Amino acid sequence: MNEKHAKNETGPDFLSAWMKMAGDVWGNMFRTWSDATATIKPSAASPGGASSHAQASLDAAMKTWQVLSSTMARPEIMDSMFKGSGTMPEILMQLAQSTLAGFMEFQQKWFERAGRIGKSTEAYTFEDLDENAFRAWNEIYQKEFRQFFNIPQLGLTRFYQEKVNQTLDKFNLFQTAIGEFLRLLYLPVTKSFSVVQEKLGELSEAGELPEDSQEYYQMWIKILEGHYMTLFQSTEYIETMGKTLDAMSEFSAAKNDLLEDMLNMLPIPKQKDMDDLYKDIYLLKKRIKALEKKLNH
Amino acid sequence: MGEPKVPVDLILSKLVEDADKARARAHKASDVLLGPLDSEIAATPYEVVCQEDRVKLKHYKPVTDVKLKTPLLVVYALINRETMLDLQPGRSVVETLLAHGIDLYMIDWGYPTRKDRFLTIDDHVNGYMDTMIDFIRQKHHLKKINLMGICMGGTFCVIYAALNPAKIKNLVTTVTPTNFDTDKGLLHVWMKAVDPDRLTDTYGNMSGDVMNFGFLLLNPARLMIDKYVGFFENMDNKKFVENFVRMEKWIFDSPDLPGETFRQFIKDFYQKNLLIQSKLEVGDRRVDLKNLSMPLINFYGKYDHLVPPQACELLTGRVGSKDTTDVCLETGHIGIYVSSRCQKEFAPRIAAWLAERDAPDQKPRKKKSTAPKKTKVKTAGRSKSSKRLRKDTQRSG
Repeated sequence: MNEKHAKNETGPDFLSAWMKMAGDVWGNMFRTWSDATATIKPSAASPGGASSHAQASLDAAMKTWQVLSSTMARPEIMDSMFKGSGTMPEILMQLAQSTLAGFMEFQQKWFERAGRIGKSTEAYTFEDLDENAFRAWNEIYQKEFRQFFNIPQLGLTRFYQEKVNQTLDKFNLFQTAIGEFLRLLYLPVTKSFSVVQEKLGELSEAGELPEDSQEYYQMWIKILEGHYMTLFQSTEYIETMGKTLDAMSEFSAAKNDLLEDMLNMLPIPKQKDMDDLYKDIYLLKKRIKALEKKLNH
Repeated sequence: MGEPKVPVDLILSKLVEDADKARARAHKASDVLLGPLDSEIAATPYEVVCQEDRVKLKHYKPVTDVKLKTPLLVVYALINRETMLDLQPGRSVVETLLAHGIDLYMIDWGYPTRKDRFLTIDDHVNGYMDTMIDFIRQKHHLKKINLMGICMGGTFCVIYAALNPAKIKNLVTTVTPTNFDTDKGLLHVWMKAVDPDRLTDTYGNMSGDVMNFGFLLLNPARLMIDKYVGFFENMDNKKFVENFVRMEKWIFDSPDLPGETFRQFIKDFYQKNLLIQSKLEVGDRRVDLKNLSMPLINFYGKYDHLVPPQACELLTGRVGSKDTTDVCLETGHIGIYVSSRCQKEFAPRIAAWLAERDAPDQKPRKKKSTAPKKTKVKTAGRSKSSKRLRKDTQRSG
C-alpha cells in the first residue's frame, strides 16, 4: 500500500521534470532555428511568401507546444493523469466482463431455445409424431427461431442482409408448409392400404378372396379415390393448400427480390425493368387500338 | 378337414398366369413403342386468315359444300389448347362440323409470355375476340355470325354476346361455367381459398404446368395412377398407344394464363360470382345477361368434375332469349368432345341446331315440343314456359 502510494508520488514529479526539460530543449532548438532563418532575406520570387508563412506556422506550433508542455508539467495535472491511468485496467476489465456476459447471455438464449425443442415435442406422443411433426416444427420455428431472422440489421449492407434473412425465413416457412401439404396428400394412400387390409381380412374370413390380382388393384384404387375425395373437401386440406400457395408465393417473391439485387451488378435488365417496359408497351398498344377503332368507325 | 377358406393355389396360379401375360405384353410393347406411331393431333387443314399479337384466327378448309350461310367461330379456353377439338381423324369435332357444311373458324390463343401478363378479360373479349369477329363479318358481308365457346372460352362468348348482341346470331355454350357459387366441383371449393393477388403479383402469369398439376390433383387416384396402369396393360396395342399419346400431348400442352386475366377470373367469377348475377363489369361495361337475346344452346356433362352441371345450368334461365336449350350429356368435361359416343351426338346436334336457325333475320322462335323430356322451370314466381322446356339427358358418355 505504501509502496504503491510512493510510486504515485514519485511518478508525477519525475514526469513533470521530464516535461519541463523537453520543453526547454525544443524551445532552445526553435530559437536557434528562428535566429538562423531571420538572417535570410526573402527572395524576389517569394516576397513575404512561402518562407514567412512557414515561419508563422512554426511559431504558432511552437507556442502551442510550450503552453501545453508547461501546463502538463505542473505536478497536480500529472497526479490527476496518473490516477486516471490507474483506473484504466479496472475499466477494461469491466468492459470485457460486460461484453462476455452479453455474449454468454445471447448464447444461453440460443441454448434455451434449442432446449425448448425437446419440451415442445414432449407434448406429442410417439404415435402422433407423424401427424403433428410439421405442426410442431412450425410452432417451434415461429416461436423460437424466426425472431433471429428479424433482428435489425445495421451498417452499409443492412439492406441486403435483411433480404437474405427474409429469404431464409420465407424458405423455412415454405418448407414447413409444403411438408404439411405433402403429408396430407400421402394420407389417403396409407389409409387406403389399411382399409384394404381390413377388407381382405373380412373376405378371407368369409372365404371370398378374389383369385384375380386385378380385383385387388381395383378394390384399392376405388378406396383410394374415395379417400382423396373426402380429403379434398375437408377444411383442413383447403386451408393447408391455401397456406402452401401463400408460403410458396412469399418465398418466390423474397428470392426474386434477392436475385434482382445480385443482377444489379450485371449489365443486364432485371425482370422489374422488363415488366415496367411491358406495361408501357401494353398501355401504348391499347391506346393505339382504341384510336384505330375510332378512326375505322 | 374341410375346403380351405382361402384358395391359395388358385390365387398363385393366377399370379403366374398374369406374370406370363405381362412378359408377353412387354415383349410386344417394345415393338409398338420402338416402331412408327401416328400420334399427330390437329391434322385437319386450315389457314391463318387473321392475326393480332400472338392470337390467330384459323379458317378450316371446307370438305364439302358450305350449307350454312352463317359461319361459326369457335372460341376455346385460355387453359390448354384448341387442338382438343381435332384430336384425331374420326374423333374430331372440327371434322364433324366441316362434314355438316359449316364454314368454320377457330381462335388460337397462342402461348402468352411474360409480356402478356397485363392482358385482362376485357382485352381478350373486347379486344382479340372483337377483332376476329369483325374480320369474319366483313369477309362474309354479314351483320351477325354464330359463336360457340368451350369452357372458359364459353364464358368469354357469353360476355361478348351480352356486350355485342347485334353481332351474334346464335350462341352455343359447351361445358361453360357461368354460376360459380356451388360446392359441387372441387375447383369451385378450392378457388375460394386461393389468393389471386399474391399469386399474380409474384409470378406475373399463372404457369400452365402449375394449373395442370392442380387439375391432376382433382382426382390423383385416377389421373396419376390408374390412367398409367391402364397404359401399361394396353401398351402392346398400337391403336391404344397412339390415342393415349395423342391425349397426353394435348393435356400437357399448357400455355400460361395471363396474370391479370387469372386475377379477374378468380376474383370476379369464382369468388364473387358476378356473371350470373349480371353484375360483372368488363371494360367499364356491365355484362347484363338479359342482353343475350339470340338463340342459345347450352351443353354440359353430367359427370364433369371441373365444371359441374350446377355451374352451367342456371344460364338459360337468366338470359333474355326466348329460344334456349339445355343439353346434359352423360359424360365428363372432355368426354363431350372426344368420346366415341359423343361424336355422334354432340357436333351433329350443334350442326342441326344451327341449320334450323340459319335463315336471315329470323325472329326468335319457341322451343320445339319434340324433345324426349320436357321440364318446366319456374323462377321468381313467374312461369317461364319458354325457358328450358327441353332439357335433354342423353346417354352418350
